Amino acid sequence: MSELAAYTVIGLGLGAIFALAALGIVLIYRATGVLNFAHGAMGMFSTFVAWQVFYGWVHPSWMPTWALTAVAVLVGLAFAVVLGLVLELAVFQWVRTRPPVTKAVITIGVLLALQSAASLIWKNNQYHLPIYLAPQTWTREVAGVPIGANTIVIVVVAIGLAFGLAAFLQFTRLGRAMRAVSDDPVSASLWAVPVGKVGAVSWMLGSLIAAVAGILITPFINFDTTSLTLIIIDALAAALIGGLVSLPLTVLGGFLLGLLETYPTIWIQSLGFPRLVALLVIIAVLIVRAPRGMPVATR
Amino acid sequence: MILGHPVRLAVAVAAFLMLALIPAGFDVGLKFDAALSVVWAFGILSIVLLTGYVGQVSLCQATFAGVGAYAAGMMFNTFHAGYVVGIVVGVVAAFALGVLVGLPALRLRGITLAIVTLAIALVFDKYVFQDHIFDWFSGGSGGWRVDGANLLGLPADSSSHLLAGYEVLLALFVLVALLMVNLHQSGAGRRFRAIRDSELAASTMGVNLTRYKLLAFGLSAGIAGLGGSFYPLIAGSVSPQPFWVFTSLQLSAIAVLMGVRYVPAAALGGFFMAFVPDILTRYGHGTFMGHSYDISYDWFSLALGALLIVQLILLPDGVWGDLHGHVAKAMAAVRVHTQRRVRVA
Repeated sequence: MSELAAYTVIGLGLGAIFALAALGIVLIYRATGVLNFAHGAMGMFSTFVAWQVFYGWVHPSWMPTWALTAVAVLVGLAFAVVLGLVLELAVFQWVRTRPPVTKAVITIGVLLALQSAASLIWKNNQYHLPIYLAPQTWTREVAGVPIGANTIVIVVVAIGLAFGLAAFLQFTRLGRAMRAVSDDPVSASLWAVPVGKVGAVSWMLGSLIAAVAGILITPFINFDTTSLTLIIIDALAAALIGGLVSLPLTVLGGFLLGLLETYPTIWIQSLGFPRLVALLVIIAVLIVRAPRGMPVATR
Repeated sequence: MILGHPVRLAVAVAAFLMLALIPAGFDVGLKFDAALSVVWAFGILSIVLLTGYVGQVSLCQATFAGVGAYAAGMMFNTFHAGYVVGIVVGVVAAFALGVLVGLPALRLRGITLAIVTLAIALVFDKYVFQDHIFDWFSGGSGGWRVDGANLLGLPADSSSHLLAGYEVLLALFVLVALLMVNLHQSGAGRRFRAIRDSELAASTMGVNLTRYKLLAFGLSAGIAGLGGSFYPLIAGSVSPQPFWVFTSLQLSAIAVLMGVRYVPAAALGGFFMAFVPDILTRYGHGTFMGHSYDISYDWFSLALGALLIVQLILLPDGVWGDLHGHVAKAMAAVRVHTQRRVRVA
């Protein structure tokens, strides 16, 4: 019984990872109509910038670890915002009227460029030490299962971010503007919504969430350039459960996928099997929901 | 005539003779690149069929090539079959997987199909090609070794007769490329184009969507698998790395970059994908103005991503499509010009 509980805790932690990664995809998709295959790569790059500040550079000896962590994370997040702005200005503002597939293929170009730039700078397939936001040694026993502080942080952040973003899109002026631009950029601009600015803010926010996810994920995965980039598939599966629209459902989908990928590992020791679970979930969701659930996706 | 217009046939034969003879003067590394470029040209040709002709997105074409490669390796090693049998089995296996992948595509299109096919590429990369359960198919962690293979008596071993494999593969590519151009103008090609332009309209006109979409996926996968099944022959062995998920992404990126609607773009793309990274890593190191530099494979992928973005913004029809368009426009302008002169005179 406690074995099952232990796997549940692992699964929920994994699910929170997927949920965090998926939230940014859904946000960018809702706000700009771009399905961002490069989301994992963007988060990966910003995370490696934080890693570089934390591990790569020489620090003044008086600086305590928590301050260093804070500086590293802040630099990573600031870089993410700049990255989002640059992508909007250099790439996505020019393709706003193109079909969704073209925009998705462009994000594949972004993925390839960021991925290879990162493996040039930080070397491919090399193990990197993760960044711990919470003390690694702190654990609490719940029903005989130790739960680490980093797991609690990632679960709380995933749920909090989902509801925070949903409220932001629902109730704030900027959130409403984002949804208007997503529905129809032309009529939004006729209603005096600054489409360009909204696009820039969406990409900066999306990139920021990708970086938050990337930094929080590092303690739980093999932290190299490819695994953070390829987490996109699990994130897309979670996002599809939310219909690429609903943020709370996306988080729920993330947890569900995390559990579905973890329970089989009780019997099947395989690095690849969870990918098969993700594929089956994607196909099942698309067959059941498409195309009604995603009017924009099939346009 | 099934191979199409005589002039086109003559051009294809001339191109084949030229391309078949040139690598004879290369060193071993470049000979391998020449053969590899045809393998990837098949991969890109499969995208021209699926995306350019039928309008279906796929991000798992390297997976089909990999299935062809592993099936051929398995036939050669486990069943001690002749390599030609391995190629046939490789193509059939890829075709079957293509039809299977086409099944969800009956309900999906656009970016949702891109998600599914990317997930399939990842499953094959991390699971089927690498997991111990599939050792019977992937030959374990070492992969399959192919030594002393021949094609119906023609020695085509990678260590001694690399160019034999290359020439057979090139001849097949020219043949398939001609058939592809012809397909575009045949009844099936018209149905494919109707599906690309509007599935609803196509089905209203009586096009059997199920049959033709599955056929398109099967044919496309079979083409990729044909190229892939030659991979063990020319490389001597097969491993998961050449067919991992990033190769699929690169194939799609190069196909779009070169012009996804044009058959010659496949040849251009294959050349680009095999030669450019090797030449970069081979000659791209040294010192420049006191700074040593080293251009590795990653620079190729970085440049590819950047080029793809620029191309999609500036030249949506791809490199070949745009060149083609400019030439056609210039020809038309000249024609109009001369006609006017005639009329005035």
